[in-house]
Amino acid sequence: MPPITLLALIIGIPCLILLAYVFIRGSTGLRKYILTRIALTLPMVFILGSLVFFILRVLPGDPVSSALGPKGTPEMIASIRTQLGLNDPLIVQYGRYLGQMVTFKFGNSLVGGHRPIIDEMSERFPATLELVIPASILSLLIGIFGGTLAASKRKKFPDYFFRIYAVVIYSLPIFWLGLILQLVFGVKLGWLPISGRIDPIIGTTVKTYTNIYFIDSLITGNWKAFGSVCLHLILPTITLGLIQSGLFVRMTRANVIETLHTDYISAARARGIREKVLIYGHALNNAMIPVITIIGLQVAILLAGAVLTETVFSWPGMGSYLVERISARDYTAVQSVVTVFAMLVALISLAVDIIYSLVDPRVRY
Amino acid sequence: MATDMGTVSEDGLTYTFTLKDGLKNGDGSDVTATTYAAQLNRLLTIGSSCPNDVADTLAVPYVKTITAPDDKTIVFTLKVKIAYFRSLLATAPYVYADPKTFTADACNLFPSAPIYGTGAWFVSQYNADEQMVLEPNPNYTGDTPATTTKKIIVRFYSDPNTLALAVQSGEVDIAWRTLSADQITELEKVDGLKIGTVPGGKILFLTVNRTMAPTDDPNVAKAIASAIDRDEIADTVFGGKVTPLYSMVPPGFLGATDAFDKMYASPDLDKAKAYLEASGYSADKPLELKLWYPPEHYGATTAAWMEIIKKQLEATGEIKVDLQAQEWSTYIPALTQGQSYNVGVMGWFFDYPDTSNYTDPFVYNTGMGNNLTANSDANPNGVGFNDTAKQLVDLLSKADVELDDTKRVEEYQQAQDLMADLAGNIPLYFEAEHVIYRDNISGSADNANPDTLNIGANIVFNYSLITKK
Repeated sequence: MPPITLLALIIGIPCLILLAYVFIRGSTGLRKYILTRIALTLPMVFILGSLVFFILRVLPGDPVSSALGPKGTPEMIASIRTQLGLNDPLIVQYGRYLGQMVTFKFGNSLVGGHRPIIDEMSERFPATLELVIPASILSLLIGIFGGTLAASKRKKFPDYFFRIYAVVIYSLPIFWLGLILQLVFGVKLGWLPISGRIDPIIGTTVKTYTNIYFIDSLITGNWKAFGSVCLHLILPTITLGLIQSGLFVRMTRANVIETLHTDYISAARARGIREKVLIYGHALNNAMIPVITIIGLQVAILLAGAVLTETVFSWPGMGSYLVERISARDYTAVQSVVTVFAMLVALISLAVDIIYSLVDPRVRY
Repeated sequence: MATDMGTVSEDGLTYTFTLKDGLKNGDGSDVTATTYAAQLNRLLTIGSSCPNDVADTLAVPYVKTITAPDDKTIVFTLKVKIAYFRSLLATAPYVYADPKTFTADACNLFPSAPIYGTGAWFVSQYNADEQMVLEPNPNYTGDTPATTTKKIIVRFYSDPNTLALAVQSGEVDIAWRTLSADQITELEKVDGLKIGTVPGGKILFLTVNRTMAPTDDPNVAKAIASAIDRDEIADTVFGGKVTPLYSMVPPGFLGATDAFDKMYASPDLDKAKAYLEASGYSADKPLELKLWYPPEHYGATTAAWMEIIKKQLEATGEIKVDLQAQEWSTYIPALTQGQSYNVGVMGWFFDYPDTSNYTDPFVYNTGMGNNLTANSDANPNGVGFNDTAKQLVDLLSKADVELDDTKRVEEYQQAQDLMADLAGNIPLYFEAEHVIYRDNISGSADNANPDTLNIGANIVFNYSLITKK
């Protein structure tokens, strides 16, 4: 089974189970809401894909000239453009693009070996997931813990520390942070690897099923590879995760402070409930509801952050792929990546809304 | 694959080679001239359905037919007589491809591993944009001694800065042909690293558009050629890691001269002013010139040496330069199609190791932006835009087919003088190639250039000759 199919099943099956559960147990309003959201996602992806299609063609530059560089003669450029269908009328190219999107075939790359985009994405997408998931977990852990601590110790050292941390870390350029971490932990101290997803030699021993090396090495019991994957994940995960954590610290802090001033917390405090239980058992639960919404919105920012992180750490994911292909004006690759990203963001936003309704029973759609 | 350099017919159109004994496919079966010819013919014909610009550049224009009269003999019949066909034979399209991997009818430029040829190594794993693993080919019967190295892992880095850090931290044992001169300078200071330098073949030059004002005036190109101080660029920006270049043909190639230095004694600001004043420019009425460059494609230092060129041109007091940067995919069609830019930077690395590859593409009508020739049905190489350009096209056409190297040298020397006179392209510098390796890596002392891991002037990196302690 191709890794991308397996991956789609791994992600898709739990999503479908969640959807089925919500459909069976949820209210009529929620069912209606989900159907409406799914129905709205399709035109959204269509509009976005169409915009990208036309904007790319309006931009100056040409994929064939760019790939051939000074070695491209006019005859050769014209011939390759014809072979790739770039000389067809725009409407024909657009029709072809829509057909490729509907069938999820995405066509072939316009540069390099003209490989099928689906093959290239099945190699790149798992790498991005492998980076984005632990980075999200890290940012949430720091954000929730730091934000709650800052709120509970208001106007004391932890509060000032996390407030300054949030502002500083959020405003740091991601490539700069990555470079500093590489220099300190990779070059000066020599503790951690600075590039790639796995040690090159150990990498040759990994049997891939999902192309997420973390999972593949785990399920095959290749502990040496698993250790190497974990080591290679540390610096890119910290880079991407720290940058994202700033916003979560601020959001969580503000919401916990607000919740701590509500009547039910005052009542609970009057009943002598311990402060820690109050904060982590009562206030945080309610304060998390707006944070969950932000998590959905942050996915798009996280994917954008992955673009820079992947470039700095030579991480062969979708982000660095997108950068390379925009530079090369590889229209089909860029269209396909943007479409997949758009669908991903739409689906995660939908999932967040569903989780939102489950976490907060007061929410009605 | 051949036993020797083969024979060429009297008309120069037919080359015959005899294959070595013992050549094997990946499955252990014999490689015959018939299978080799079939694979090469596949490349000549598959292009219509399978974009392959390498074959379209280096094989299709030259080779008419490839036949195998017997199992050991392979015959190439050319469409046109060329003196450098043996150099072309050493390029990628002529490499033997295993017929089981590269099937006749499939457009398969990136097959799945394992990928076998007849060389000392085969590709045992290939993860696009990540790494390629090479292992010794069990069927290899070539001249190079069997290697003790079990695996060579080629890792791909999209960002040279990350590669430099990986070399510094010890993640990478050898880095070859990617790092810029300023990065090499930094790596020289790192303990445990060795750096070998080989001549290479990369040149950087300015392309002058002769079809639009003000660069359609020959005096403008000559003034630019006179004002540029290549030594200052090489020393200031590259710390002497590049060599000033005074001809489009770099040192080491057949017939290379210092034609630009001879003609313009550059830098010579008085001469530059004289050219400008002959065209009516002065301090009060300076030449206004837009100078274009791609900020990322030729390395991070491009902006720095373009600033130096601007300063040098403006030192004449009669040129006002407007520096413009443009992203590569927009820049290159605008420059090579000759419609938008007056002067732009371009780099070149040979496709095949022959002088003609440093002259013909910039003179013949091949769209390199210099516009020295115009389209012509009668002459596929185009017709020169003036008498000098016409003379140059004739001279290069002669050198292309001249099989006597002594005569070729003379022709290329004359051609370089004419190219300097036309100044359609103004050479700037020539960049050597560097191999950076850790001190536990060594080349073979039994072969030439162990300090460069046995990489010679032909820039062939023979992995079989390196060992790691």
